[in-house]
Amino acid sequence: MDINLNDLLRHYRSNPYEEHEIRAPHTGVVKFRAEEGQQTFGPSGKWLHKPGTLLFLLERENNPKRITASFNGEVAGIRHELEGCFVEAGTLLLTIRHRLSKEEIIDRILTEVLSIFPAPQRARYYLPPETASQMDKKAEPSIFLKPGDDAIIMSLMKRDTMLKYEGTPGIIYKVYFHSGDMVERDAPLLGICPPDNLKYVQKVIQRIKNEWEE
Amino acid sequence: MKKEKILIANRGEIAIRIMMACEDLGCDYIVVYTHEDRESLHVRRAREKGPGKRTYRIASYKDPNEIFAVADQAGATAIHPGYGFFSENFRFARRATMRTRPITFIGPRWEVIRDLGSKINTKKVAKSLGIPVIPGSDSPIYSEIEAEALAEELFLQQREQGIRAPSVLVKASAGGGGMGIEEVQHLDTFRRVYRRIQNYAKRQFGDEGVLIEQCLRDYQHIEVQLLCDRHGTVTHFGTRNCTIQSTGRQKRVEVAPGFDPEVWDYSFDSLRVLKDITGHSVNLAREVGYDSAGTWEWVVTRDGRPYLLEVNTRIQVENEISACISRIRGREDTPVNLIREQIRTALGEKLGFTQKDIYFEGTSIELRIVAEDVKRGFAPWCGTITRFEFPQRPWARLYSHVPADKPYNIPTEYDPNLALAIIWGKDTGEAVERAGEFLLGSNIEGHNAKGEPVITNLAYLYDRLDDVLRF
Repeated sequence: MDINLNDLLRHYRSNPYEEHEIRAPHTGVVKFRAEEGQQTFGPSGKWLHKPGTLLFLLERENNPKRITASFNGEVAGIRHELEGCFVEAGTLLLTIRHRLSKEEIIDRILTEVLSIFPAPQRARYYLPPETASQMDKKAEPSIFLKPGDDAIIMSLMKRDTMLKYEGTPGIIYKVYFHSGDMVERDAPLLGICPPDNLKYVQKVIQRIKNEWEE
Repeated sequence: MKKEKILIANRGEIAIRIMMACEDLGCDYIVVYTHEDRESLHVRRAREKGPGKRTYRIASYKDPNEIFAVADQAGATAIHPGYGFFSENFRFARRATMRTRPITFIGPRWEVIRDLGSKINTKKVAKSLGIPVIPGSDSPIYSEIEAEALAEELFLQQREQGIRAPSVLVKASAGGGGMGIEEVQHLDTFRRVYRRIQNYAKRQFGDEGVLIEQCLRDYQHIEVQLLCDRHGTVTHFGTRNCTIQSTGRQKRVEVAPGFDPEVWDYSFDSLRVLKDITGHSVNLAREVGYDSAGTWEWVVTRDGRPYLLEVNTRIQVENEISACISRIRGREDTPVNLIREQIRTALGEKLGFTQKDIYFEGTSIELRIVAEDVKRGFAPWCGTITRFEFPQRPWARLYSHVPADKPYNIPTEYDPNLALAIIWGKDTGEAVERAGEFLLGSNIEGHNAKGEPVITNLAYLYDRLDDVLRF
């Protein structure tokens, strides 16, 4: 598949930001720790073991939970009126303006290049245990899928269904979800690359790496 | 009754029925809901109740910290867990009663839930009282080799009994409500099924323990409804027949009473069997000091042999058909409501009646109306409901969380249950006839993301009415 990479890069360069709404992950009393305009950093370290910037504390049942940033950016729109208040799950607390990284740009552009296997329903998804274990063992993409192969376990309405792959035969180049994640309908689950396209995909990645400045 | 505020820690129609019971008793209540349930009628009904905040959005119905945090914030004095979620979680019940700010758990004492909530413990206690139980493991199995050896023994026993097509059930030990159960008909395929259930159990319940037991093929699934208080009163509200189930062993049509010899000619003394299992259930309840509403689940084979399956230490979805056929002498003007009675007993009130005061009248049928494709293994259907109409009849009640006045997206996080219909007739024939009339008058429309029309089990329920109470 050919794409107009120049157009895509121009599009992302014109607005390389994403606004992320940070909501209360559960109920509790909120105490903000970040300030308006503060730079945030996501987890770091070899194993991402160092937590990101502390955004707020959410205390529930006498347990204060530290809610930290999961990506780099700039804090905006802190809802100071909620300071010290009990908030319900899902309450909007602040936003982070995040500049897309080179890897994120690659991921987004690859959705245009790879053959995408999308989520048929809003559901939780898991890789079949055999696929997950093969992926853990091999650094490079190597698992080949053809139509009819077991692709993904969909856990919907408390039932597990094995989804058969439908689409262009190829290698699983990209997995777009974490096992057990809730994925919205039509969001990409797998990015499949036909073996003939591998060189082209690698060329695209290389060009983005060369041309995208962080 | 002192001023109580009950937190309803559940969703859907059971949350609505608990609200109704609270209103009956003059208790205030609050409800919790998740993002996916924001359009549910249980939320709307609570919001429209009147002044004061009654709805709290939480991250999950399965997070105990969420429930307790909201309970404290709202000043709740008691928690009604409904069914599923925390209803049979003794740790939750224990935490409720033993925390710094204690909250009444509406259900049995936590020790009772611990002892009876586990199929394994129940089996052990029942065996000690001489109550018949299904042959199989009486503790969770974590070893494939051990599981296969037991399965082999069960296959052998069945062959010795002359059973032509023996089979065993592999069950997630921590499961319930029919989830995580598969049948194995050949020992060769046992390991594959065992691994599948083990993986499923680990994913869904966080415990990969598995139970193995003989699969009884030709049986009726009978339940005994008990109601006890904290002052030693033990009563039963008769039996139910829950044999009509989906392939995933989810109940679809339930009938009270459990058998009707006026309608079908059983090869055994059906009334005697119902009396026996009721007696066994009452004995077990007395033995463990049962003090709430609960259901004793049995299977009865074609030749009339009963086996205790498990005890559900909670209110059951189908409780209302038992209530519907029950009358309490001197209180005939007030319909029996087991949820209301369960709340009263948890708050320490005496039942105020005994078994002698309870009598039964007629037959009641529950129809579980679900968005599912029965032709594709009862596969759940996801989409939007745009029309939701049911006949209004004096002999029918409908409970649903689905709004009828605007489109409703079925949340994919939960079962696609749409409604429960409770039908009453003066006898089984009339109840069946009325259930059929109700189903024929029901109208559900909707579509999925591809624009395809809604699929429900209405036609299936209608077809299965011929099978109620019969082997």
